[in-house]
Amino acid sequence: MPSILVLDDSATMVMSLSRVLKKAGYDVETAGNGQEGMSKLAAGLKPSAILTDLNMPQMDGIAFIKEARKSASTRFTPIIVLTTESGGQKRDEARVAGASAWLTKPTEPNELLSTLKQLLPK
Amino acid sequence: MQFTSEASEHLVCAVLAAQVAELRDRIDGSATVELLWRTSEVLMQLSDLVRELATRCHDSELQAQCTTVVAAEAEVSRSIESLAFEQAQRNDFTCQTVDCVVTALERLAVTDGPVGNRISPDELAALYVSEEQRKVHDAATRRFVIGVSPAPTGGDCHGDERPGG
Repeated sequence: MPSILVLDDSATMVMSLSRVLKKAGYDVETAGNGQEGMSKLAAGLKPSAILTDLNMPQMDGIAFIKEARKSASTRFTPIIVLTTESGGQKRDEARVAGASAWLTKPTEPNELLSTLKQLLPK
Repeated sequence: MQFTSEASEHLVCAVLAAQVAELRDRIDGSATVELLWRTSEVLMQLSDLVRELATRCHDSELQAQCTTVVAAEAEVSRSIESLAFEQAQRNDFTCQTVDCVVTALERLAVTDGPVGNRISPDELAALYVSEEQRKVHDAATRRFVIGVSPAPTGGDCHGDERPGG
């Protein structure tokens, strides 16, 4: 079963995303910010895909993506940005950092799941 | 209590920051989201019971009604789950937006910095988390610039109201 690492500093968002993903059959691991996400990856977590917010304390989403791309285990892991940001500049920053896809909140469960499906290996 | 006019303004900013922070906690809609999830779960349990009833009864009309109800529940539950997901995201957006206001007011309330150095419009803009905030910022800046601009003299053209930078 594919596993998804979810990063968001909002507890309600983490619960909501976990619920949608679990109902769709995914295993879910969560982190409250980029630093916590990196700690989980360093501890050996190998998610099939990563879903991250941008604006988080301690380590934001862009910094997290840059760090994750440095690691051999997550160099090619699909990373989806899910954020309130809709600005082109942030989107470019995320793409340059290594983001695979971008979704702006509010998005619908189906849009999230279809984006994941497209990015995960068949 | 008596304050200097500067201290009084710091106090106003500090109080406003505390009040907006309080407001942010009140608008946190996580309870609504959790209630929507609970509603969805209860509906699904009821649907299972109706499905079970349909298998046990021998009344074809009742069975047909059960089938209709189960289908309707599936549709309603999908909508509730989707609404809860959207509500959680809107809640997150609102809280992040209000966080910016709290942070800016807290910076304005700091008493040990010189006036004018506590937070600049650019530093305020750096706190934003959405394009909507930037649009509001730009519109407010335009209105402010128009408000403080000297009265036009003969021959001046004011066709472009956008501030520089």
